[in-house]
Amino acid sequence: MALTLLIAAVVGTGLGVFLQKGRFCFVNAFRDFFAYKDSRVTKGVIAATLLTMVFWGIAYQLGYYQGFWTPGWGLTGLFGGFIFGIGMTYAGGCASGTLYRAGEGYLQFWITLLFMGVGYAAFTIAFPTLQSTYFAPLTFGEGVSLFTISPIPAGLLAIGVAALVLLVYATLVGRAATGVDPDDRATTASVRMTSLLAPVVGLRQFARGTSAYLCGLVETWSNPIAASKRPWDPRTAALGITAMAVVWFTQVSIVGVTGPEARWTGYLLSQVGVDAGSFEYWGSVLFQGQGVGLTVDMVMIGFVIVGAALAALWSGDFSLRMLKRRRLPNAVVGGLLMGAGSRLAPGCNIGNIYSGIAELSVHSFIAAIGIVAGVYVMTHWIYREVGCAI
Amino acid sequence: MPSIDDVTDAPDELSDEQAEELLEDADLVQDMVGEVCPYPQVEAKKGLQQLEAGDLLVQETDHVPCTENVPRAVGDDADARVWRSGNATYRIYLRKQ
Repeated sequence: MALTLLIAAVVGTGLGVFLQKGRFCFVNAFRDFFAYKDSRVTKGVIAATLLTMVFWGIAYQLGYYQGFWTPGWGLTGLFGGFIFGIGMTYAGGCASGTLYRAGEGYLQFWITLLFMGVGYAAFTIAFPTLQSTYFAPLTFGEGVSLFTISPIPAGLLAIGVAALVLLVYATLVGRAATGVDPDDRATTASVRMTSLLAPVVGLRQFARGTSAYLCGLVETWSNPIAASKRPWDPRTAALGITAMAVVWFTQVSIVGVTGPEARWTGYLLSQVGVDAGSFEYWGSVLFQGQGVGLTVDMVMIGFVIVGAALAALWSGDFSLRMLKRRRLPNAVVGGLLMGAGSRLAPGCNIGNIYSGIAELSVHSFIAAIGIVAGVYVMTHWIYREVGCAI
Repeated sequence: MPSIDDVTDAPDELSDEQAEELLEDADLVQDMVGEVCPYPQVEAKKGLQQLEAGDLLVQETDHVPCTENVPRAVGDDADARVWRSGNATYRIYLRKQ
């Protein structure tokens, strides 16, 4: 137990440091892509997810893993994910972003966390009704990970998926680089030529970008202390987060945020005299009849805040930041929508976009679509006066 | 060989003296302390719409990602530079193009 707690502390702190230093934010990743086609953080998120998928696939194939998280699939993912996506865009921070910003000293995000807690509690009270009116009709099948049902060995499957995504990415980049719109071309032959060449051009560009990045990384070793205080590339964060997620997967489980937070809510309420265990959702679903107490994943996400605070202090980014009154609705409403949405899906941006896709969970593919759709709609609303690129 | 700064895309930094001097010339100063993205980005775009080419917009912020996201959000509309106090406060200088 002591070793597991130590692992929770190390993984949590590590995740906090990498999230803070890389400004690794899922809202930023999608919102800024929709708002002005900035894909820098989007690439970091995709890289982290694909790398984690490859390592988790290999670990699963070799038997070094503790378990998957695969809720039943259906429209709950789409609907709950959409609400969560709206909530995180309005709040200005996703589930993981809220944690690291709380660690940086933002009072606003402590209020967001508080209202996420209110969302979890409200959901818990409504759970018995929701089960028959929402989950039963909208869940179509048993949750499953493609790793467990695919005839292809998990490691190979993960590498294959990652290679496919890379090829699609390279084709898009290559097409943009050659500046050819297939519709504008007069002859089919030239269309075919550019279609064939685009992935090659894109892959070359990818290789150049990667090697330039690695050179930059090596360069930082000439002055590691100064470099550690500067902001980091999202790709560096992606590498670090992947390493932490692999340790967590082999020792405990997949990485989740809002599940442990919902447990924290039940635990904290039980500390002030509420019989949390008597509520079906806390008692038998979240704590699985083991009694309401501290679990190792709760400790881990607590350390994410600690890690982010340490990284912020080290970089000179830490301060107690008061909340502007006009941003109170963002914290309150955003928090509530994130809390409730993450339970209705179930799962947040980390559980579904990062971990869920990395474990090839069918439910998470649907929930990820819901979350991104929520960000898309909310981004257009926020940018309504200044215009969105997409 | 490229340094890590080349890949993080951070705008050029101003020295303390340059930052003070420029602040006095600013045509519009927006207080974004305590605010998080995306609102500073939206306000920067709105602010630039009111200004003439060559005018200077300064945003004061304590949100680190804004120092990268705001310059990227305004894109070619403005030339961006930042000043870091070293104590969790920043200023973003946007010269309208």
